[in-house]
Amino acid sequence: MIDENMPRESEEVSAGLMQYSPENVMPFGPIHPSLKEPEYFKLVLEAGKIKEVIPRIGYVHRGIERAAQDRTWVKNIYLFERICGICSFAHSLGYIQGVEILTHYEVPKRAKYLRTIVAELERIHSHFLWLGLVGHWAGFDTLFMWVWKDREHILDIEEAITGNRIHKSYVALGGVRKDLPDGLKEALLKELVFIEKRASYYHELVQSEETLSVRTKGVGGLTQETATRLCPVGPLLRSTGIARDVRVEDPYAAYDEVIPQVQSSTDGDIACLMTIRLNEVLDSCRLIREAVEKLPSGPVRNPVPRVVPAGESCQHVEAPRGELFYFVRSEGKAGPARVKLRTPTLANIMAAIEMLKGRPIADVPIVLTGMDPCFGCMDRVAFVDLGESAQWTLSGEQLRQYGIEYYRGKR
Amino acid sequence: MNRRIRWRWRPTSEEAKAIGDKFGVAVESTPGRTVLSVDRARVKEACVAVSSLPGYYHLSTIAGADLGDGIEITYFFWRGRSFFVVRTSVPKTDPKLDSISGVLPGATLYEAEIQDLYGVIFTGSPYTGKRLLLPDKYPADAPPPFRTEADPEKVRKLMQLD
Repeated sequence: MIDENMPRESEEVSAGLMQYSPENVMPFGPIHPSLKEPEYFKLVLEAGKIKEVIPRIGYVHRGIERAAQDRTWVKNIYLFERICGICSFAHSLGYIQGVEILTHYEVPKRAKYLRTIVAELERIHSHFLWLGLVGHWAGFDTLFMWVWKDREHILDIEEAITGNRIHKSYVALGGVRKDLPDGLKEALLKELVFIEKRASYYHELVQSEETLSVRTKGVGGLTQETATRLCPVGPLLRSTGIARDVRVEDPYAAYDEVIPQVQSSTDGDIACLMTIRLNEVLDSCRLIREAVEKLPSGPVRNPVPRVVPAGESCQHVEAPRGELFYFVRSEGKAGPARVKLRTPTLANIMAAIEMLKGRPIADVPIVLTGMDPCFGCMDRVAFVDLGESAQWTLSGEQLRQYGIEYYRGKR
Repeated sequence: MNRRIRWRWRPTSEEAKAIGDKFGVAVESTPGRTVLSVDRARVKEACVAVSSLPGYYHLSTIAGADLGDGIEITYFFWRGRSFFVVRTSVPKTDPKLDSISGVLPGATLYEAEIQDLYGVIFTGSPYTGKRLLLPDKYPADAPPPFRTEADPEKVRKLMQLD
């Protein structure tokens, strides 16, 4: 997958960010078009260790913010949902909350609770997806199979509640699109017992399983001081000991009544990211159970006029990957004048770069997966070693095998 | 069943007032937001002042918007239940602004994004003269894609996409 129009390395480097000579820089990419969020990293090696990382993103930048300015308020819900296949609900929720604040109409309580339930289900399935990928890159494919199988249970429940597995289109201006179907409460609670059981098992597993601990303990490592400078969000920030969660600090939906517990740690490595995320899964199960028990009766949607008064609002939600930010500006027209959004991955890239510095190549997949960017996009990776001035190329699968072999030799 | 709700008014905190006094402008407080509008020459100073307030103000993002004859740049700092917003604008004839990436490296990519999409030059940013988001084929003389005068059809022709 070589793009002819891509500049040659030497050209790019001479105009590049860091003044390294061409042979010192290795491209990390190009990107597989079938996967979302492809990013292109250039890695600079010195004696097998990563010295510098230069990001180049935007391969799937489709100008959605600009496209939103030509669409109506309601159509944009479906547009923003399509930014991400995994946290689609968080996107539509962040946007719609921004719009609802401008309209000054209140959302019914039942709708707020239903939004909370679906948002937490999404968190569980996203964290499970991530754990499976960590297992895959660490060479523990059994974990990958198990976790993704369990994830199907959550997707089924999401489909039963919202009508869709991935792009749920569940929020509507002034509430949610439909009520909880009859008899689903019991089915949901039954599934939660199963998910909790599995999550507790994985929790135990990631701490005791040697394959995982060899690959993840002490890998990464972000300090609190670095984190305050680089402004990461979500589990990555919480792994440095800064216990920050939008759900707790700036509650939205029903999070002021169903209060989450902030999961944090001070280790900063990939191992503690696994524990944080699994603790969050267990906490999400508790939140859903609590929300289902407290679920108030009443309408699920208030009619809200389609004309939004002029004004501005900033809203953020805690997507599975961290703070997802939406800024909405209205000029009283049929659609927004400006929508600005910032996804958690963009905020985390700088921190991931910091985590990669000084690590061997074998850690590249696991550290980049650690920040949870849905990073299967390693199609081809070319390496240049400063010390040995050798050059070689690895495909994504070869890189994975290399990582496994590297740690097998070390054990 | 609809009823208009009153958003809890959050008064300007002492800190915000102090910062407003320092820059000689009134801070405008709306629910959930405190807005400090400053001249572009003092933006870096204002961002440093806000981010060093006690309690770790987290830089959520930097947003650009086209105002017609100028580009508006907005910095969102978040703590607790409200945002501290630093706002400035630069004219399209001279879109230059001091970069804050030296004091707050987390802003590097946000600045690079605005540079690509709105053509604002951040002096001192490691991305000056480089691209983060735009394809390398994007013509350098065409207006940046998020400006109102940018015409996607013309750009398509220039990039020979048709």
